[in-house]
Amino acid sequence: MKFNLRNLIEKKPWLGWVLFFVTTGVVFVLGVLAASIIQRRAEATLLNVPLYELTEFEPRNEMWGKAYPREYETYQRMADTSYTSKYNGSAMRDALGEDPRLVILFAGYSFALEYNQPRGHIYAIDDIHNILRTGAPNEDTPEMQTASCWTCKSPDVPRVINEIGAANFYKTPWSGMISEIVNPIGCANCHNADDMTLKIKQVPLIEAYERQDKDIMQATLNERRSLACAQCHVEYYFKGEGKYVTFPWDKGMSVEAIEEYYNTYEFADWIHQLSKTPIIKAQHPDYEIFTTGVHYSRGVSCADCHMPYVREGSQKLTDHQVQSPLNNIENSCMVCHRESKEELIANVYDRQDKVYQQKLLLEDLLVSSHIETAYAIELGATDEQLIPIHKFLRAAQWRWDYVAASHGSSFHSPVECLRIISAGIEKASHARIEIARLLADLGYNKAVEIPDLSTKAKAQEYIGLDMKKLQSDKNEWVEKKLPNWLAIAKERESKIPEPKRIK
Amino acid sequence: MLQIKNIIASILPPAKWRVPVIIVLGTLCGVVLYNFYVSRAWSYLSDDPATCINCHVMTTQYVTWRHSSHREYATCNDCHVPQDNIFRSYYFKAMDGLRHSTIFTARTYKQSIRIRAPGNKVVMENCIRCHGELTEMVKANVTYKETLEGNGKKCWDCHKEVPHGTVRSLTTTPWAEVPAPKSPVPEWIK
Repeated sequence: MKFNLRNLIEKKPWLGWVLFFVTTGVVFVLGVLAASIIQRRAEATLLNVPLYELTEFEPRNEMWGKAYPREYETYQRMADTSYTSKYNGSAMRDALGEDPRLVILFAGYSFALEYNQPRGHIYAIDDIHNILRTGAPNEDTPEMQTASCWTCKSPDVPRVINEIGAANFYKTPWSGMISEIVNPIGCANCHNADDMTLKIKQVPLIEAYERQDKDIMQATLNERRSLACAQCHVEYYFKGEGKYVTFPWDKGMSVEAIEEYYNTYEFADWIHQLSKTPIIKAQHPDYEIFTTGVHYSRGVSCADCHMPYVREGSQKLTDHQVQSPLNNIENSCMVCHRESKEELIANVYDRQDKVYQQKLLLEDLLVSSHIETAYAIELGATDEQLIPIHKFLRAAQWRWDYVAASHGSSFHSPVECLRIISAGIEKASHARIEIARLLADLGYNKAVEIPDLSTKAKAQEYIGLDMKKLQSDKNEWVEKKLPNWLAIAKERESKIPEPKRIK
Repeated sequence: MLQIKNIIASILPPAKWRVPVIIVLGTLCGVVLYNFYVSRAWSYLSDDPATCINCHVMTTQYVTWRHSSHREYATCNDCHVPQDNIFRSYYFKAMDGLRHSTIFTARTYKQSIRIRAPGNKVVMENCIRCHGELTEMVKANVTYKETLEGNGKKCWDCHKEVPHGTVRSLTTTPWAEVPAPKSPVPEWIK
């Protein structure tokens, strides 16, 4: 007889029941499997839950350190300032002392007072307290800066901006925030408190993306590993009366596009003391220049070299000692490049040397231009006669500063740097032709005497700075005034509860 | 045709059973479909490395690759699945995938997950597939089969760190940022 299930079940009804219970069993097991899958998926999201309940705006790095001790330990290593490379490194270096020409180029602006190559992030707060550019604000001495200057210094910034709004923050006098902003650049500047994912919190960067109709929250992990740095390592300016921190990217991110943006506003950071040129101060367009380089186009992010993956015992983690990759060649360069350490360092210095060499040519042209223009003004040059000189001098100094102020760009993108500098040399040459014509018109046809600028002190004296008084005022302020604000901060922070342990 | 009809006729339930049987079969299909959905089974057809950390035990492998220079050029499948023809590729993927999902579900994996012999062979094939010119000299002298017999070295006998590094256990990369599977609960129900 042929097999026929229907007939079979009609003959033996219990077979029907067997089939029923087998089906029930299969559905049940599938249900258990589904539950298992869901549970294992939930595990994946629980893996990155910290031991302590951190809040989104927890500014105290040591509190994050409780939850992430290994990362925090590497972060603390930034306190080590012993490494110096040929041009930079982790130590504080006196940029004006190393190159006194800068005093002339920044004459009339606070950068002529004191300008240092930066130490690690961990010193951000100490260094902004101590630098002459922030002055010694007292009841009777005016503020030199607004709170905009704090924007890149601390995880307290996103916290305060969240409380009072960005516009209110920026327009507060600088000293008005000394007791609020006390924790150096750290965890909360880049990380989500829930699971340590990278999160962009810098208002001006988010706004710059919004103005270009882009949503920064959609950036991929690899992009965020650079954008986290672009929160600060970019060209920015303080817009309008409210000193609103703004990234000038609306027309593009090239040196020309940013210049065009500033020119449409006729923006100037200051009027040059000697030549009366309206100058744009370049901040540090590190990210902008990096994106023109070969490492960026190969998909390398900032963190890949400046915060490489390191092994500690059985664990691997991102090194939070943000520093020059030259101090850690094995974990940075050599992950991709197979050359020897010495050769790699030589390759970097070779590129940097060439950029610095050309940068100095432009610098000398600029120094001469400012001093010669000042002489022309002394001889009675009119504002109208100065217009073409100012135009070229502004463009030339912008190009020089764009390269000079950026950190590491002579390596990140040497070709772009040399392109910008050579364009700057061309602009400066035009400026000097105009100056020569003007001097001739004014009846002077000889070389203008360039003073002795061989040291920082001589250069500062030449532009009439009383450094002794500035420094002693500052020292007094640091000793007597600053501790009051810091005491208020300590009192305020002592009231914030410590994060709770959750597992 | 007739035969198929006969088979269907032979398993069709009696008339009075039909409605309950349809419902039970529907339930069965529903649960199977749900499992398909919640395990993101379709993602296994793709080459997206995020698929490989559907099971979070592979996170260390994912993260170490993510921090290596190989991330710019090779996905997991480029090295760990045969790339010479599509049938072998999917057959290998299916066999490996079934084994992995069974081990993961039963939690029988070890603290340090190690590659097996068939996987080794595929990886070495793929080393040579991409680094063909570079390995001309080596290939002239040694084949994978010979390395198994102890004659000559496999690629990673020397290039130990490529690309995952030498230390990789389940707990090697805590706090690493990896794409977490999205919640299976649809937006409209939340």
